[in-house]
Formats: sequence, C-alpha cells, structure tokens
Amino acid sequence: MNRFKYSAENAPKAWFFLIPALAIIIIFNVVPLIRTFYMSFYRGSLTNPQFNDIQNYITVLTDTKFHTAIKNTSIYAFVVVPVALALSLLIAITIHEKIKYKDFFETIFFIPYLTSMIAVGVVFRFLLNGDYGIVNFVLGLIGIGPIDFLNNPSMAITTIIIFGVWSGLAFNIIILLSGIKSINTDYYKVADMFGATKVEQFRKITLPQLIPIITFLLTVNFISSFKVYTQVFAIFNGKAGIADSATTAVFYIYNKFYVQNRYGEGMAAALILFVLILLFTMVQRMIMKKVAQR
Amino acid sequence: MIEIENLRKVYDNKYEALKSINLTINNSELVCLLGPSGCGKTTILNIIAGLLDPTSGDIKFDGKSIIGMHPKDRDIGLVFQNYALYPHMSVIDNIMFPLVVGSNKLPKAEAKKRAQEYMKITKIESLEDKKPGTMSGGQQQRVAITRALVQNPKILLLDEPLSNLDARLRLQIREEIRSLVKRINITTIFVTHDQEEALSISDRIVLMDQGIVQQFDRPQNLYLEPANLFVAKFMGNPIINTFEMLKQDNTLVSQDFSLDLKKFDKDRFKCDLDGDKFIVGIRPEYFVLSHTPLFKTKVTVKELIGKDCILNFEVNNQAAKIIVDTNSNIEEGQELAISVEYENIYLFNLEGKRIY
Repeated sequence: MNRFKYSAENAPKAWFFLIPALAIIIIFNVVPLIRTFYMSFYRGSLTNPQFNDIQNYITVLTDTKFHTAIKNTSIYAFVVVPVALALSLLIAITIHEKIKYKDFFETIFFIPYLTSMIAVGVVFRFLLNGDYGIVNFVLGLIGIGPIDFLNNPSMAITTIIIFGVWSGLAFNIIILLSGIKSINTDYYKVADMFGATKVEQFRKITLPQLIPIITFLLTVNFISSFKVYTQVFAIFNGKAGIADSATTAVFYIYNKFYVQNRYGEGMAAALILFVLILLFTMVQRMIMKKVAQR
Repeated sequence: MIEIENLRKVYDNKYEALKSINLTINNSELVCLLGPSGCGKTTILNIIAGLLDPTSGDIKFDGKSIIGMHPKDRDIGLVFQNYALYPHMSVIDNIMFPLVVGSNKLPKAEAKKRAQEYMKITKIESLEDKKPGTMSGGQQQRVAITRALVQNPKILLLDEPLSNLDARLRLQIREEIRSLVKRINITTIFVTHDQEEALSISDRIVLMDQGIVQQFDRPQNLYLEPANLFVAKFMGNPIINTFEMLKQDNTLVSQDFSLDLKKFDKDRFKCDLDGDKFIVGIRPEYFVLSHTPLFKTKVTVKELIGKDCILNFEVNNQAAKIIVDTNSNIEEGQELAISVEYENIYLFNLEGKRIY
C-alpha cells in the first residue's frame, strides 16, 4: 500500500507539525523532570556529583523541618481551597443573580488576578499591621485584638491562609461565573414553574451542573496550594514567617537548593512533593467522578 | 375554562407582540396556537404560563383571574420546546422533581410511586434509570410531558413540542399526544408553526398573525372557510393561487382569463361587490383539467409528491400551481387546458377581507 495515500483518521504527517512543540516540551519539561529524579540520588556539588543511593530521601523524610513544611502546606491547602471555593461560589451566584451592573463587578473581582502578588502582599502588610493596620482598627471597634498577624509565630499560618483565600477568589469567581452563565435558563424556568425554591434550585440544578467546573477548580487550586510560595514570600517580607513558622514545602526545597547548597536533598524533597501532589490529585479525581455519577 | 380578555403585550423594546387578544377555550379542549414566526403565539403561551406579564388585559381560569399569580399556583404543566430535562438526573428523578420541591413536597417514596404511575400512563416505564442524554428525541419528549403531568395540572401547555423530532417520528408522537391528552381529559394548548400538525390534532385552531387572531375555528373551517386572505394563504399546501382581477359588468377579468360572476353561488356572498378590483383565490386542487378551458398554458416544472403531483405553470405573467393525479402522466412542457370549480373560488377585497 502507498504510504502517502490519504487517510482521514490516520495522518503521519501530523508528527511533522508537532515536532516544534514536542521539542520544547521535551527540553523544558521532560528532561528537567528526569534530571530531578537523577539528581535526587546524588550528593556533592553540581559539577562533581557522587552517588548517594536513597540517603537523600532518608535525610529529607526524617528532617523535622520537612515535617513542619509538609504540615504547614497541608493545613494551608486543606483550609484555603475549600474556603476559597465556597466563598467564590457564593460571590459568583450573588453577582449573577442579584447585582445590576454585572460587568462592572466582574471586572472588580478580576482585578486582583491581574495584580502582582508581591504588590498585593505589601498592601496586606499595611492592612494587617499590629500598630496602624486597618484590620486591627476594625477588630478593635468590635472589641477584638489587637492581633499581631505578622510578628507572632503562632499567627503565621492563619495570616497566610487569610491571604491565600483572598488571592484565590478572583480566578475562581471568573471561572464559576462563566459556568453559571452557561447553564440553560430553561432549567430554572421549569423549576420555578414547579415551585422549587432558590435553595432547591441551587442544590438540584446549579451545583450538579457546575460539577465539572468545580472539579477543575479543585484540581488546579489544590496543586497550586501545595506549591504555595509567593503568598508567603510576599506577606512575610521574603521570609517564611517569624522563625520559619510559615515555612512550606517549596520554601524547604528552595532553602536546600540555594541556601544550603544541598542539591540532592532539595531534589529528593521536590520529588516527594511531586509524588504527594500526583497521588492526591488522582484520589481527588476518583472522588469527583463518583460524585458526578450520582 | 380559559378566558383571555383584551390581552395586549408590548415588549420593552416597544414591539407590540399582542394586540387585544380575546379567546375562550373550553375544558378538555385541545387548542392549537398556529401562525408564522413572530406572530405572538409563544407570547400568549408564556403569559398563560406566567413567564411573561401582560401589558394589559386579563386571563381567567374558571372565572378566576390568574394575572399576578406565581406560575406554580396556576395549576399548569408546561413542556418547553427543547424539553429542558435535567441532564444530570435520571428519568425517574426528572419526573419526581416537581413532587419533591417547593411547599407541597411529598415524601420521597410517595413521589416515586406517583411518578411511576404517570410513567405507566405515558408508557415510559422502561426508561426509568436512563439519563436524558442517552435517549432519542421522542423519548425525551415523552419524559418532558410526563414531568409536566405529574402534578396533575388542569391545563397542559406545549411549546412547539414536535419541532425537534424527525419527520416520521413527528407523525407518531402527535397522535400519541392527542390520544394521551384525550385519555386523561386535560385542557391542552399547543403552539406550532406547522399547519399540518395543527390541522391533524386540534379540536380548534387559533390562527394568528401580527399579534391579532385571524381566525379561531375548527380545523376544517380554517381550510374550507378562511376568514380572510391571510388565512387562505397560510392554510393549505401548496399555497393558494391569487389573482388580481377587475370587475367589468358581470365578469371578473384579467389578462389571460375571466370569470363569469353569474356562475357564482349568490348565497355565498358575504357582502356586495363594492369597488372594481378584487383578489381571486383558487386553491391548486380546485383548478381542473378541462375540455372547455378558461385558459391554456404550458407546464414549466413538475413536482411529484406521491399520489398527486404539482404542475407549475404561468398565467397572467405570474407563477401558479395545479394539483393533478400522478396517473395523468403529464410531463414538463406539455400544454394544459385549465378550468376552475366555481363553488370553490374565494373572493377578497384589496384589504384581504373575504367577500365570497
């Protein structure tokens, strides 16, 4: 058979067009991943590596600092993601249903997403300041505080959670709004006709219809939460909180690599984080699939 | 009984969709709202359903006004054109939906029993656990109707229920709809733009155009006794032939043929022949091939539709059609000698009002 004969369902020529994209993906994504895996078994400098077996993994896994980092990261992810998602859903539905100048408010809520996290972090430092911050002023009015958000080690996680929830809203709201808008309005007309209340309509129509979008948001939110770094950097002035009280997994990897120059251990920690995120995402996918089928 | 009184609707963009509609629909009657796009038929349905508010006028169910009432309190079941079944719910959950929401919700077991009863009536028991996405259009249709009926409403409203189905299924489903609503004896209002659909299932038809009821009558009268030129043109397929003719003494003349007014049945005149210009309507089936023709012409195009065929020809410099038996074996280009059945001619004045 002629190799160049046309076939509608199988076109080897496609590989030709894929080469540029594939080359970039291989050089910048696949090779670094393999390199990370390779380096996690070596110690010494980058130019003179020595094979170290699984010693790097043992070191990282028994390091109490790593435990703290993973613990902080998990608390952050498991609080921020659900809270931010629930709040976003509430705000998105309010904007969609009740608000007159929808486009204006959509823009307002999207602006944080366009703003640099570092700039917002500086503003938050002002807002949360123990002495002259407006947050403490308002809390003072209702008889709470003052709370030292920035300099008290035991408040550090709470502070980045607040900041994390805030910074996660913009993206979630925009995506959820587009999801809500795409739901057939006849569904609600029918439900209205049958006398379903707004709450019932939300539970029985909006929520099930949004499942694919919620699954997507949960996945990307969890992944980015496990990799949290910028938020901490921005709000604690480049440090991981007072006395490393808010250190996260990525902070730990960064320190190992650039501060302590223990490249192998840094790569081992990175790989452990990668596997944790991968496993978690897979489990989450399975759960959401079950939910969607119901 | 549904009484619609002086119903008027002007949309926000100043478009006057309905201009003073008056209708009375009897209990357990199957009425069709028929008309071209934009005639206001769906607007009426939506106002009855409570999805739109009228600008003025009133609608009464059994003497009680329902304007200002929430749709759920109107005792109606509505089937949307696209069915609006919930794709994430199984058939039984879709049908149970009206029973398990709102202020009069039933316990789940009871709702399920009731849903199953209705599924038996509409013969969809076997679909119980399917999702709407996996069913054919006809099945979805039946589920949507079942869902509309499950609250046992007094009135069933159907918005172009057959337009999403293929031609053959449409024939079958329209008969099913008629036999179903007659069996459970529910007052039904049905919107369609398809005259054949309307003619075949309705007890009475409301033919609308430009926000006005053109004729509200039994299907047969719409066809045989059109109230005006619009009705005559809308009903019947192929469309009625119309010719502008001049009255000269006792004949109506046009370029290629003339009609003898003495042969018209005097009892059928609705009023006197004022003026000198009239529009004569002759349905293609009432032209006849004859040895004593009114005019002769040639077949331009032949369209076969089965038992009959449509022959296109030209007369008075305009296109016209005649229906003949397919067995007559007339071919394109052949000469036709055409006469007319006088008892089946319609006469309209220039405003479209029927005179004869």
